[in-house]
Amino acid sequence: MDALMIGTIIKILIILLIVSAIAGFGTYIERKVLAFMQRRLGPMHVGPFGLLQIAADGIKLFTKEDIIPQNANKFIFSLAPTITAATAFIAMAALPLFPTFTIPEALPLIGGAIVPSVIADINIGILFILGTMAAGLYGPLLAGMAQSNKWGILGSARTAVQFLSYEVVTGLSVLAPIMLVGSLSLIDFNDAQIGGIGSWLIWQQPVAFILFLIAGFAETNRTPFDLLEHEAEIISGYVTEYSGLRWGMFFIGEYTNMVTISIIAAVVFCGGYNDIGFVSGWLLFILKVVFFFFLMLWVRAAWPHVRPDQMMWLCWKVLMPLAVVNVVITGIIIML
Amino acid sequence: MAHIEEHKETQIAQTEKQNYVMLNLGKTPDYGMPAFIQVVKRSLSLELLKGLGVTFREMINGLFRGKMHTTKYPFEKLPIAPRYRAIHEMLRLLESGHYRCIGCGLCEKICISNCIAMETRYDENQRKEVSEYTINFGRCIFCGYCAEVCPELAIVHGGRYETAGEQRAGFSLFEDMLTPIDKLKEQKEFAGFGSVSPNADENIKKTPLAY
Amino acid sequence: MFEQIAFYIFSVLTIGLFLVTVFSKNVLYAMTSLASGMVLIAGFFFLVGADFLGVVQLIVYVGAVMALYAFGMMFFNVTKDLKEKTTSNIWVMIVGVSVALLMTLMFGGVVNPEAIYASLPINSNMTNPQAVGMALFTKYLVPFEVAAIMLLIAMIGGIILAGKKMDTSLTNIEDEELQRKDVK
Ligand code: SF4
Ligand code: SF4
Repeated sequence: MDALMIGTIIKILIILLIVSAIAGFGTYIERKVLAFMQRRLGPMHVGPFGLLQIAADGIKLFTKEDIIPQNANKFIFSLAPTITAATAFIAMAALPLFPTFTIPEALPLIGGAIVPSVIADINIGILFILGTMAAGLYGPLLAGMAQSNKWGILGSARTAVQFLSYEVVTGLSVLAPIMLVGSLSLIDFNDAQIGGIGSWLIWQQPVAFILFLIAGFAETNRTPFDLLEHEAEIISGYVTEYSGLRWGMFFIGEYTNMVTISIIAAVVFCGGYNDIGFVSGWLLFILKVVFFFFLMLWVRAAWPHVRPDQMMWLCWKVLMPLAVVNVVITGIIIML
Repeated sequence: MAHIEEHKETQIAQTEKQNYVMLNLGKTPDYGMPAFIQVVKRSLSLELLKGLGVTFREMINGLFRGKMHTTKYPFEKLPIAPRYRAIHEMLRLLESGHYRCIGCGLCEKICISNCIAMETRYDENQRKEVSEYTINFGRCIFCGYCAEVCPELAIVHGGRYETAGEQRAGFSLFEDMLTPIDKLKEQKEFAGFGSVSPNADENIKKTPLAY
Repeated sequence: MFEQIAFYIFSVLTIGLFLVTVFSKNVLYAMTSLASGMVLIAGFFFLVGADFLGVVQLIVYVGAVMALYAFGMMFFNVTKDLKEKTTSNIWVMIVGVSVALLMTLMFGGVVNPEAIYASLPINSNMTNPQAVGMALFTKYLVPFEVAAIMLLIAMIGGIILAGKKMDTSLTNIEDEELQRKDVK
């Protein structure tokens, strides 16, 4: 095995372990941030500052009774959560995290391994990620349809509606930056913005950035668009009948998707993991991702939900024309 | 409108600066050009960012300016109003330390859920002495009649409001409710049924509704 | 080696899933296997190095089958088996077998390896999306544009069909008026 192979395996382990841990930790952060924004303390009692709350929740999820409703389609019912969780991690395979680095020789066993910045640098990276994340919505869809519960069916109907609305906007909004960079690989996106803050694509493509963020919120079912499980309207939507670990898998998937969208936003629009001056790219990258993650929680604290019809109206009548105009203008400018 | 003006004159309205702003949202246009104009206007005036600003400000207030609202309940407790009708207490006479109850039985008579049970007898000085006194808190509805009727201000409502119990019949004995003799100095008079809380003035606010 | 193993795994899975699609009486099973079969076909594209087409297959069919699900949801109770009203099995047999025969004949020519040639050979200087773009905008420009116009027509047709009475909002009509309309 050569150095790159070992490095790739290390990278896979990093992503699987750290990102799933972050996904779990995300629930804690979310509760804390939401609490602070409402001037509450949030979880406080398990461990210092409630840090061990995730462990407590994990134990709770593992030991809860796993209920499958009598009339549900048992096979699809148990398949659905795995779709969400698996696709979320598959999408991570084409995602660059941190610059490529070599593990120092001094370490035993893995010394000298080259850890690449992305597991599989396929040259259509961003399309692959968006495609797999789109496939991830089959989780909620199937879950809602398999559980023979009217709230579940409503949840999956809304999944279909949401998917058919935002998918166009996501594609069209990243199209303009893709035209500028001339590649679909996220590595190329990163390399195109190597020259400091001024070269970030967000300055050339502000409209695309905002459109992408909005579509990203819809893609991850975050608050202005969390139609699928809107408690006030449809109990819990597609997760109404789920309990225990299966329910937990949906949430690992959702939080992983949040991390993914944050990373894409950071890499495509905000300069990726390039160093700025003496500040290391590692630190900047983490800061950017943390900021986008925080933004999702922040928005959840501040903004109300939209109705499904408002969501369709927004996507098809406002965002899509904007995205098309943006693409056309970008094209004209490139041609000139 | 006159009564609103009148209200503004009151002292409370002047000392407490309350600035209620009436929002004139107008009629929401349904479709067509007016709706489009409204959307553009709202997007360009960045109304969404104002919402974000408010939540962020509250977070800063909570985290760094010490304005957290949370009471860590089982460890911290908020003071309850003096008129609150919680678990009963039996008070003592301040001079002698003897319990105040004279065994008149009025509370037993008036109790509408029939949960006070008492027995009395004459002691060696031919004074009435309470030999048994229990309140069944499984049945008490905390109506406060017993405290109201008591001629000696002996039975009052205390401040212990956590009344969850494991058994159906939670009796309380006379000794449990009686002020411990060493705590006699701290014994407080019950402000009474319907009395206002000491900070009532601060809590009065003008309602924004003019009716 | 790896490619062959992957090819056979993908083939067996895909054929199996499409068989489920055809034979299952449960709408949910049928649609789910259709969707996963379509996604697995993307695997073949990845195997032959056509990454771009693979991802396009993924994105397009994920969306398309999602719309199918929406219809399935509206027309059937998806958790129950469907009772099909087949009046004449013999006709179903005849049509099915003849279609299968036709397909075999159509693709039979391809089985002969001599007959296979690439009309646009792989150009190793170009990346995948570039190659697809080259093919679409040079050799197949006219079919591509025709397809685009057909899609446009379909879209306009859809909008016109669905767009009737779109300017009245049901939520703004008073209840009584709505009921009167229902009676009519
Ligand atoms: S509070 Fe009411 S119900 Fe309770 S003991 Fe007194 S009189 Fe009876
Ligand atoms: S009314 Fe007061 S004084 Fe009379 S028996 Fe009851 S507690 Fe004692």
